[in-house]
Amino acid sequence: MNLDLSEEQEMLRKMARDFLEEECPTSHVREMEQDEKGYSPALWRKMAELGWMGLVFPEEYGGTGGDFVDLTILLGEMGRALLPGPFIPTVVCSGLPLLHYGTKEQKGNFLPRIAGGSLILTLALTEPDVRFDESGIQVRAKGETRYSISGTKLFVPYAHIAEGIICAARTKKGIALLLVPAESAGISLTLLTTIAADKQYEVVFNRVKVPAGNVLGKAGEGWGIVRDIEKWGALAHCGYEVGSLERVLEMTVSYANERIQFDRPIGSFQAIQHKCADMAMDIDGARFLTYQAAWKASQGVEMSREISMAKAWTGEASRRVCLSSHQIHAAIGLFKDYDLELHFRRAKAAELAFGEGDFHRERVARELGL
Amino acid sequence: MDFEFSPEEKRFKQEVRQFFQSEPELCSGFMEEWHGGEGFGPRSWALLRKLGERRWLTPSWPRKYGGLELPYIYYYIIQEEMSYWLGLYACVGTAMAGPIILQHGTEEQKDFYLPQIARGEIEFCLGYSEPQAGSDLANLQLRAEDKGDHYLLNGQKTYNTRCHFAQYHWLAARTGSEGPKHRGISLFIVDLKTPGISITPLMTFSGERTNDVFYDNVRVPRSSLVGEVGRGFYYIMEALTYERVTPVGAQQRLFEELIKYVRESGRGSDPLVRQKIAELAIELEACRLFTLNVVAAQSKGIVPTYEASAAKVFITEAELRLANTAVNLFGLRGQIQGDTQWSVLHGAFEFIYRESLMELIIRGTSEILRNVIAQRGLGLRRE
Repeated sequence: MNLDLSEEQEMLRKMARDFLEEECPTSHVREMEQDEKGYSPALWRKMAELGWMGLVFPEEYGGTGGDFVDLTILLGEMGRALLPGPFIPTVVCSGLPLLHYGTKEQKGNFLPRIAGGSLILTLALTEPDVRFDESGIQVRAKGETRYSISGTKLFVPYAHIAEGIICAARTKKGIALLLVPAESAGISLTLLTTIAADKQYEVVFNRVKVPAGNVLGKAGEGWGIVRDIEKWGALAHCGYEVGSLERVLEMTVSYANERIQFDRPIGSFQAIQHKCADMAMDIDGARFLTYQAAWKASQGVEMSREISMAKAWTGEASRRVCLSSHQIHAAIGLFKDYDLELHFRRAKAAELAFGEGDFHRERVARELGL
Repeated sequence: MDFEFSPEEKRFKQEVRQFFQSEPELCSGFMEEWHGGEGFGPRSWALLRKLGERRWLTPSWPRKYGGLELPYIYYYIIQEEMSYWLGLYACVGTAMAGPIILQHGTEEQKDFYLPQIARGEIEFCLGYSEPQAGSDLANLQLRAEDKGDHYLLNGQKTYNTRCHFAQYHWLAARTGSEGPKHRGISLFIVDLKTPGISITPLMTFSGERTNDVFYDNVRVPRSSLVGEVGRGFYYIMEALTYERVTPVGAQQRLFEELIKYVRESGRGSDPLVRQKIAELAIELEACRLFTLNVVAAQSKGIVPTYEASAAKVFITEAELRLANTAVNLFGLRGQIQGDTQWSVLHGAFEFIYRESLMELIIRGTSEILRNVIAQRGLGLRRE
């Protein structure tokens, strides 16, 4: 038993932290909220040069063969810096399913370009009734040699800049994941105004034609892949939030030590100290559960239960931690140019992504055999 | 990174588990004696001696004093199993007094006490708390006057839980009144049969017995002193670093019983029940990881002040939530005590609901430990 990161993992963390402190200050985060693209292509290229997009791909596809623990470390640093952009939709929600379920040709075609930073993909999964079970997929893909996709998807991240969309659709044989070129006729996009201003789109498919060869895996077996994507996606958001919350706690402790009221730092009051202690325990729990899930995923053993535990905990802990931080910061934390609100808004988006607490507790109950 | 025990450690855990499984009567006897207020009775001592024969009470100690010189993690593995099978995972002798004697005791003290502790023949009772010295331990007043060839002890201890069955008092007493309060404290080992000591019971509302202990002109030889005069408070703090871990075997066993009940009673299909049980499962998993985090630090030789405080607060508060959720799940029947026709799961959760309050207090209240987390762990200022 050993809960430490390896030397290489510590180096990855340090490199990512140093790089993002330089390249992704919170002024950049705010700028990207207003920016039409919502991410910086120049920064994206630099990240690709550092090997981040290929971190979890094998060398033959231009990657470095890292595992889920490595990925969690990197996402933690991204969360700490609140890095905006399509990393999770491209690498985690598209790259990983391609790697695990794609044909040799698909892998050879897509993965090196993702790793090289020249390809952005996204996932169109959720529909207006926002269910996470199989019956929630109502978008239709008609035909056999060629599919014609019709229906509405919501919460498709960075759909406006993605070159391709992986769309979960209902075919005659069951659920299929279809690789849809973004320039296909019949796709229309509408930006959703969301709490984290994180470029999530409504994507309407109106008889969009794709060849049958664009199926990821096998038609009819798409739901199994979706289940894996949900696990990876949930884990990725946990990793991101752990980093974000660690930063929130640091900001809170340093503010509490500096802010003088009643002639003493407010951090010397037990009411404040105990809130901070609770925040630390919440974050510890999130980190332990998240890294355990990531470690299990890296071992290639079943980790549904661990991921659901991590996601349920982290989602709720992130809300509690941010709220406590706001209480301790009091009025100054309410202002638009104070960084805390960036964490607060993103925490809610991350909590909702790939299932909040009730959803994952139900999953845990099922895993317990109830 | 590796969240699991090594194959060798797993094999050892299995061996320890098999030992407890092979002693069902001593295990249930141990719990009956403890929860009935007797403390260590005949069956508890018999079980401790059997553990001692295997050197499992002190596996990390030097061989010459009855240990096996195994890495710390083996001690933890035994504690985890003790917690699961006995609901109790440490003796004061093995976990606190012994290690301090090993570090600071005289050769005579080591040769006399350590082998007996290792064999499971003697136990110590912590003699720290007093009516005016709880969380503010440095305020303790029981006086030890230096009379040349002996010390003369006068004063009162309270909430000293094991004094009615332990052979020795691990006594903190005031030897100096000058300077900062915590520098005037010394540690003594006192035979509890010494004339002038009287022990009176204090019963908790969960049935445990703890004690008031009165010292009335008690003479103890100079050889009773542990380490240096005036260093007692530091030894107490040091002893805490040896006893930091909070295994959750007992909670895991309770949860296993609860989930079995939910399945068999058919309530597992109720969405609200499913939410509650899942929440407990998540908290229990977090508890286990909080503990492993402490074990990992201990194994590296780091004093896990922050980690252990966080683990203790979280785990004890989670235990109360576990008990409360179960009792409420049983509805009105949740209040029925003991193993009767209408009680649920032998009334185990009604009992834990009461008993878990003590856990929030002993070894540092949740509030004191939150101060420790904030000040020593996070660096918040004291003033």
